[in-house]
Amino acid sequence: MIFAGLPLAQLLMIAGAATALTVLLYVLKLRRRPVPVPFARIWDAVFRDRQATELFSKLRRLLSLLFQLALLALLILALGNPKPKAAILEGRHLVVLVDGSASMKAIDVKPSRIEVAKAEVRKLVHGLGSADRALIVEMGSLPSPLSTMSSDVTELDPAIDSLTASDTRADLERGLSFAVDSLRGLPKAEIVVVSDGVLGDSSELEKHVDFGGASLKFMPIGKSGNNVAISQFSVRRYPLDKSRSEVMLEVANTNDQPVQIELTLLGDGTIIDVSRIALGPNERLPRYYQDLAGASRTLEAKIRLADGRSDDLPADDHAFALMPERHRARVLLISRGNTYLDAALLLDEYLDVTTVPPGRPLPSEHFDVAILDGVADSLPDTVGAALYLNPPEDGSPAKLGHAIKDFGFDTWDKKSPILRFLALGDVQVAEGHAFAPGPSDHVLGASEQGPILVSGVRAGHKFVALGFDPRNSDLVLRVAWPLFVLNSINAFVEEDTGYVSSFRTGDVWRIPVPSSVDSATLIDPRGGKHTVPVKEGRAVYLGEEAGFYKLVAGSGSDAVSSEFAANLSDLAESSITPVSALSLGKARAEPVVLGAPGSKRELWVYLLAAVAALSVIEWITYHRRVTV
Amino acid sequence: MSNRIARVVWGAFIALVGVALFVVYRHYFAGASGALRWVKDGIHYELLDPRALGLLLVTPLLLFVLGRSLADLPWPQRALSVLFRIAFLGLIALGLSRLVRSEETHKVCTVLLVDVSDSVPDDALADARQSIEQYARAKANDDQLKVVTFAERPRLIEIYQGEKLALPRVAQLRHHAADGKPLGAGTDIRAALALSYGLFPPAFLKRVVLLSDGLETDGDLLAEANRARGFQVTLYAVPYRRPPPGEVAVRSLTVPDKVDVGQSFEIVADVYASRAAHARARLFQGEALNGLDGVRELELKPGRNELKFQSVVRVGGEVTYALRLDELSQDTFRDNNAFSVTVDVPGRPTVLYVEGQPQRASYLMSALNAQQFDVDVRAASAFPASLRELERYDFVIVSDVPHEAFPLPAQELVERYVRDLGGGFLFAGGEAGYGLGGWAHSTIERLLPVRMDAEHRKEMPGVAMVLAIDRSGSMTGLPMEMAKAACKATLSTLQGDDLLEVIAFDSSPVVYVKMQPARYRSRIQNDIQRIQPGGGTEIFSSLDLAYRDLSVVQARKKHVILLTDGQAPSQGIKDLVQAMLSESITVTTVGLGEGANQDLLRSIADGGGGRFHAVPDPNSLPKIFTRETELIAQQAAVEDWFPVEQVAPADFLKGIAINAAPLLHGYVATQLKPPPAQLILQSERGDPILARWRAGLGWSLAWTSDLKNNWSIDWLRWSGFSKFWGQLVREHMRVKHRRELDMKTEMLGSDVHAVVDAFTADERFDNGIVSKLIVTGPGSAGSRRELAMHQTAPGRYEATFPLDQYGSFLLRAEHAKAGENGELKPLAMSYGHVTNPYPREYASFDPDLDRLARATLAGGGSIDPDPKRVFDPAGQKIVSYSPLWNRFVLAAIALFLLDLLVRRVRLFDRKFLPRQR
Repeated sequence: MIFAGLPLAQLLMIAGAATALTVLLYVLKLRRRPVPVPFARIWDAVFRDRQATELFSKLRRLLSLLFQLALLALLILALGNPKPKAAILEGRHLVVLVDGSASMKAIDVKPSRIEVAKAEVRKLVHGLGSADRALIVEMGSLPSPLSTMSSDVTELDPAIDSLTASDTRADLERGLSFAVDSLRGLPKAEIVVVSDGVLGDSSELEKHVDFGGASLKFMPIGKSGNNVAISQFSVRRYPLDKSRSEVMLEVANTNDQPVQIELTLLGDGTIIDVSRIALGPNERLPRYYQDLAGASRTLEAKIRLADGRSDDLPADDHAFALMPERHRARVLLISRGNTYLDAALLLDEYLDVTTVPPGRPLPSEHFDVAILDGVADSLPDTVGAALYLNPPEDGSPAKLGHAIKDFGFDTWDKKSPILRFLALGDVQVAEGHAFAPGPSDHVLGASEQGPILVSGVRAGHKFVALGFDPRNSDLVLRVAWPLFVLNSINAFVEEDTGYVSSFRTGDVWRIPVPSSVDSATLIDPRGGKHTVPVKEGRAVYLGEEAGFYKLVAGSGSDAVSSEFAANLSDLAESSITPVSALSLGKARAEPVVLGAPGSKRELWVYLLAAVAALSVIEWITYHRRVTV
Repeated sequence: MSNRIARVVWGAFIALVGVALFVVYRHYFAGASGALRWVKDGIHYELLDPRALGLLLVTPLLLFVLGRSLADLPWPQRALSVLFRIAFLGLIALGLSRLVRSEETHKVCTVLLVDVSDSVPDDALADARQSIEQYARAKANDDQLKVVTFAERPRLIEIYQGEKLALPRVAQLRHHAADGKPLGAGTDIRAALALSYGLFPPAFLKRVVLLSDGLETDGDLLAEANRARGFQVTLYAVPYRRPPPGEVAVRSLTVPDKVDVGQSFEIVADVYASRAAHARARLFQGEALNGLDGVRELELKPGRNELKFQSVVRVGGEVTYALRLDELSQDTFRDNNAFSVTVDVPGRPTVLYVEGQPQRASYLMSALNAQQFDVDVRAASAFPASLRELERYDFVIVSDVPHEAFPLPAQELVERYVRDLGGGFLFAGGEAGYGLGGWAHSTIERLLPVRMDAEHRKEMPGVAMVLAIDRSGSMTGLPMEMAKAACKATLSTLQGDDLLEVIAFDSSPVVYVKMQPARYRSRIQNDIQRIQPGGGTEIFSSLDLAYRDLSVVQARKKHVILLTDGQAPSQGIKDLVQAMLSESITVTTVGLGEGANQDLLRSIADGGGGRFHAVPDPNSLPKIFTRETELIAQQAAVEDWFPVEQVAPADFLKGIAINAAPLLHGYVATQLKPPPAQLILQSERGDPILARWRAGLGWSLAWTSDLKNNWSIDWLRWSGFSKFWGQLVREHMRVKHRRELDMKTEMLGSDVHAVVDAFTADERFDNGIVSKLIVTGPGSAGSRRELAMHQTAPGRYEATFPLDQYGSFLLRAEHAKAGENGELKPLAMSYGHVTNPYPREYASFDPDLDRLARATLAGGGSIDPDPKRVFDPAGQKIVSYSPLWNRFVLAAIALFLLDLLVRRVRLFDRKFLPRQR
């Protein structure tokens, strides 16, 4: 037994003083009331009786004293908060992994699976032995411990209260690995998974997680899985005609019965389309909307069962997407005049082109891209990126190599967004220069005589350099020429067609931001602000909530804001039919046996309860003269 | 007031108190499922278990007992006593109901996360150990310090023995499995950070100090730094600054996306060296050293070193390049000294050539090889069993294969290959081709542009056949009866105009059936039935008789079948057989039982242009004879020297002087089917030599002559032979119209993410594609697995899968789209490759200070903090809840003593004044 309350010395001191006072008060005799009697002889018999029962009377006094001392002892013992030594050494150690994924928002059990899970975990914790310790972990896409490994229900209860379900899938492997890490070296280790079992494919987990002797238990939650879901929702611009876009929406029925659903599309917050869709058993039905009218910025999709009933998981009945926003790119053209270049730039109405002859002072305002035609003037920091056409030796971002003649593109990086849709195989060039690119530069195109198209980064600014004057080739006569110019600009201003307007919750998002910023501010759908780090031009954030987000990079007048949407988009998570057993390959988790509620209480509670009971008994015995 | 009234009033009072307490309890506490909270003077109070206040419901009992008290106490003391007792129980009830209140603390708990992965040198670990000591010195008494070491996984380590700091030695800090195996081949900072969240005791300010080189192989520190803020954890970092150990690593091996057979290209290797070092690099192509540029002696400079190798691929297919470094002057880890990458090199067109006589397949194979075709020669028995396997070939040739050797499923595969997959198919003749091989009315005939029921030549009998039957004594019984049955079966197989003679021989030949048309069947059968066993065995004379009788008849095909079961002199037979062959009289021999002179019979058959059959069971004789007769009696073979004549233009004949081609020496007569069958080449007699038509999506061609040194013997020496066949195959081979869609692949931790973007011809998104991703590896001998790619956006298809092996992997995506009838039709292919050469822990060694700096920026801390600053609350405070139950117990003890005093000492009415009445 150990004392976790007051130190033993203090306890002994209090006990000594209180006991001494108690005994002293019992040594004192209560002064009796003098009662005048009319005739003493009448009382003789009484006095004789009294003398005969004096011993019994003393015993009653002694009993009363013992009552008081027992009460005192219990109080002082409680003050010491005694704990069995086994509580420190030999109890079970539990990591309770509570599924915090989207499927736990299902309402097939009232009020919801996560609330039922919390109640069950509370029962589990309160049913633990006094020597047992538990760690409460919310298992989402990453495990989140909400308490320490503790036996104190005053710490565990708030942790249980704070459990929530997010719009992500649960990563069981990470959760189990975390549990194993937390239990390493602890005796009687147990991992309790509290979940509906919608945890993806767990059949291989036995091979990936070394339980190291910890036993695995499973507490199933949920009873049915009647659900329809929006399993994909995204918008994408067309690669060439960027003024137009296409929406993909996929609805899925995860049940074995056909259903009718009502699909509502909202553009900028107002309804733009309502339709009814029949879905067969376990059917996924994609729908595509080209040039959706009525939405200029935000798109939302909502589904519900056509008969008005609610399905079991409302969380995946609502999805978000943003219409891709086109920024007008500001282009600074430094050229003595190039008809082919001018013509190429005219093809994109979203370009604001400012032309400056070489040698003239450059405008001080911000430009996304500078195109340097046969020149390599030094550029101010206000210019984001640069496209060099036939740069001279002095000022070229990539060192010029030897002069070459009569060449073409023998190899080129077809996967580069700059060369997307370009056929360069039979381009003929009269003369130019090969580059000697730096170690971090990327050769986009090369002839047999050397690299002729190079990209890279200089002082934080991207560049692309072409080693010949396009007018000295038949490139300018081909469709490839304007595509090359526009692809380069798009690549610089991050308007690649690969951009898809929504992220998946539960993933680490890497959101493009200007490469010059160190951190950015992310505003989540509930308005919460987060300062997120930026690495290699991407803001990094683990998103767990579906909805519209806003990202602000930089500050003041240089701040650049962008918006994006996030969705669950996980059909596996929408297939919410609960399972009654959890198996990891051959291993099968054992069921959880709940202890009697209340057995977790500490000893001092019982001591105080005994004090209360004893106190009432003592009150009765005193006033009925059983004790005096 | 009378006693009765007093009692009634007292009783009413007790009842009132009881009801009031019950109502209050029921209203405020009994129904409370959780804690009760309130704020007073800015302090938050919380009653965690309010139901315990129900203890005060005993108050009426106390009052009742008081009313019936026998104790000799003045009433003020009684009143005091009951008040004290109720207050005492109230304090106990408050204790039991766990009243807590908020309070601010400034205690700090710091968790040090110490990177002990393999990329961390021992010197840096020694520095980390010193740092732990500094932090231990900097902490105040009520602060806490905990240490977690991490590599692939994190571990909490004990650093105190009692109150004393007891740090493990540097070597003990590293992680090992229970069997002693090191576990440092990975770094998961995120997992270590997550583990720390559960280590902070309540009511402590949370600080984490990360001692690391910032290199991580799993998880994402930057994303986790955000989460750390959510857990109120402040993140600091102390980067390791020791130089990396002497290390050389191959970081990448880049092969061009497109490699063509026979064209040299450049392979670029990125080799990292932490210090100047010497090494030998060997580049392997498959298992062999790269031919052009295989071995290099390297003097590596610190940092990145780029190596370029020239290579060429001679044979298409999956080619694995592996760069291996050895003879290193300094190196710490061996795992990163090799890097392999596999590329799919489009090979030359491949022809499947099924030849009935594979030993004679070399002529056409050489010709096609010379025309840049890969030729896979197989026997009919090894024909591909599935369309998937057949799909690999661009053209299929079936030559001189008897019908029974080419089962129906294989024929149906060929038909589907041509009709559905657009394959090219050539059926070539020979002794087992077309009608001669029993192909009439077969699936293949249906596919070909010619029919095999060629009209008989009326000008002469088709076949003149002599059956020479051994009637020696050993043939007595079943053999003789079966021999007769075989002769009758032969007779029934022949056409009426065919000629038949039956000679039975022992020591001398006897003609039982004279040479006569087979239409006299009953007479001939009777004559056959008359054959009786005789004496010895003499072959020469019977063959000579057959030769003489055949040489005087007119027939397109003259043939002898010789049946014997014994030994016979061989003298003169060889010359006789040669003489017979010179007059186009062929001889087939049948040896019955083990006593037959098989060597002699085989030599007769070989010399006589026929076949030898060793027959152990006499019962099979009729079948052998029938088959042999069918082969000979097929009215299709035309053996004559003739020039081919072009009758229709064909692109593949451009540049070929077909009129100058040598003569062919035979073909199988067929009839051209009606248009669209197209006759390209014909014989003098107008029979088809080469015909073609479109069958479904592909081409089907019929070549009625052979492809080897029999009927085409002169063509083999023709200079245009190779070009003729090369151009023919090239024009009619399967054209792969499939589009190729770009595939982007990247490694995300241990997962591979593959993305394919699909656009239509008008640059719209191509939606509704059903895509299958096939992953093979590591290396060309690795396992194969298939998984679905899912559409995630307009025109975008994605798949993510884990890689739990090291090596190079090829990815091939097959895209199909449902047609109008719902059937999936191939649409496009995508190719990619990923390399997971070795644990990423061994890829980088220079500390990533930028990552650490950005993580601390997101985590609210800083780089290289002063330990005292980490333990300094710096005005920060944390609100915690402290329990108050022990204070109530203390108060209860005090009250207990007061109660005792009130009951043990007469405080009032000490003069015992009489009661006022």
